[in-house]
Amino acid sequence: MSDAVLLEADLPMGGIKVVEFAGKEVLLGRISSGIYAVDNLCSHAEERLANGKLKGHRLICPLHGAAFDIRDGSALTRPATKPLSTYTVRIENGEIFLGEPGKENS
Amino acid sequence: MTDQQDQPGATRSPGATIADTLRSDAVPPPQPLLEARNEYMGDSDIPFARYTDQAFFDREMNSLWPRCWQWACREEHLQDVGDTYVYDVGRYSVIVVRSSPDEIKAFLNTCTHRGTRLLGYQGGGYSGGFRCPFHGWSWQLDGCIDNIPGRWDFPHVSDETHGLQPVQCELWGGFVFINMDPEAAPLHDFLDVLPDHFQHFPLDQRRIRLHVQKTLPANWKAAQEAFIEAYHNFETHNSPNGGNAQYDIFGDFVTRFIHNLGNYSPESLVDYPGEKFREPVMTEDELLRSMTFFGHGKSEVGPGETARSVAAAGLREQLGTKFGIDLSEVSDSIMLDSIEYHLFPNMFFFPGINVPMVYRFRPNGMDVDSSLFDFVILEPLSEGATHPEPPEPHILDVEQSYTEVEELGWLGPVYDEDTGNLALQTQGFKTSRKQGLTLGNYQESRIRRVHLTLDKFMDEREQGASNE
Ligand code: FES
Ligand code: FES
Ligand SMILES: [Fe+2]
Repeated sequence: MSDAVLLEADLPMGGIKVVEFAGKEVLLGRISSGIYAVDNLCSHAEERLANGKLKGHRLICPLHGAAFDIRDGSALTRPATKPLSTYTVRIENGEIFLGEPGKENS
Repeated sequence: MTDQQDQPGATRSPGATIADTLRSDAVPPPQPLLEARNEYMGDSDIPFARYTDQAFFDREMNSLWPRCWQWACREEHLQDVGDTYVYDVGRYSVIVVRSSPDEIKAFLNTCTHRGTRLLGYQGGGYSGGFRCPFHGWSWQLDGCIDNIPGRWDFPHVSDETHGLQPVQCELWGGFVFINMDPEAAPLHDFLDVLPDHFQHFPLDQRRIRLHVQKTLPANWKAAQEAFIEAYHNFETHNSPNGGNAQYDIFGDFVTRFIHNLGNYSPESLVDYPGEKFREPVMTEDELLRSMTFFGHGKSEVGPGETARSVAAAGLREQLGTKFGIDLSEVSDSIMLDSIEYHLFPNMFFFPGINVPMVYRFRPNGMDVDSSLFDFVILEPLSEGATHPEPPEPHILDVEQSYTEVEELGWLGPVYDEDTGNLALQTQGFKTSRKQGLTLGNYQESRIRRVHLTLDKFMDEREQGASNE
């Protein structure tokens, strides 16, 4: 069993939080359709996305304004072209667990 | 008929007027709704070329859009320092930003080094400052230069010459208006009666409940003209209440219509096809039932009551509770009616409670034949509440239906009906041997007002430019 990365109650609607997972900074965000997890580093020039803001499902980088879809990590606007890596999110007893897609959750 | 009525534009539909309805309402309307003002402005055709010609579109792109006031977003979009809103119109793009807790600024969305667009998205965003992705020049939120890499090579560059290019920015009714023309007169000069009338229905005390942005297959003017009269209600919406609508021309920039809900004039439909809504005339109970989907929660019109008074009373209770405000003094007309103010060139504001919309129409990029229609529901804020973070817009493509947006409820099919004629109209513009569209002198007077003002506005600015 891996450890929980965050309590569900600590992630309010519209909020973002950064956790460490698999040796990386991972950004968790909560919108009306659920909780999602993507890389915290912008795929354009590695600005920390947690310094930006979540507007609906769009995660906005504060440096050059790239927008990403937090639900699947895709780059929505320039200057970003590469998607963000995403992580699977599992919630058990009010705790949030992450997994790497393609890998079995240990 | 009197002489007065023989004057073109002075004739009105037979039967009761909107003013008659308003005067007999159980809770009477505020003064602005009792005003009625129209003028005859001629009856010549409006050339189709104004909707279809590249040359006319280009003229608007030079002499209208970069020179007129238009709302870019709501103030509630810009709650925290760094919150931005990118507003595009045609080839232009403007960044609006909360640059400090008590200041909103706007800039052209373009780098002062070699012109690169700074923010690639449209709508709401967030910036720590602005940094161009090309060579990394950066500016603070107030538009002053933050850093220029290799500054030694740019001794000719300073804040005066290379700060972000400012765009005028003013607030009214909770909207952030921008004007790209540094010489433009203040917004107030263009609002005519709006500040006075909207004292009675303050829009800054409302919040965005829903925002739908759709691409429409028609020039922006044809698109907005599908919403500027109620003459189409019978044929397009199978509804009786457009026949006696009231149309007001308050000045060059502001016009209005009022059409009643829960009441109509059977006489106004005397020469409409068939006998529908006339033989038999709808009873008050039927009228009340026809408004059931508003959620007024009432089923019967008692003695001495009307469908309007009962529906308005029901809505005061239902919506008062839902919004957390006291609606007890609000008139039947504001509770129920479709009351629509238009502000030149492309904006509509509804002060109603049950019909609480705001519209904006603008060119879709540089395409003459398509436009973007922003549809916003502005709901009253509960007593003492602050604005919540506004919802993100639903984006609908040309082919998508309004019914895909669940929150629209009964409005979904109505807006499909309204927008369903536009592709056909654009095709017809290009087939016609007759060179222009013909307007009713009264019911379509608002369309003519916008075209006359458009000519005047562009002429004045073009003359100003050629005198320099
Ligand atoms: S670092 Fe995120 S947009 Fe450039
Ligand atoms: S074009 Fe913007 S920094 Fe060079
Ligand atoms: Fe309509």
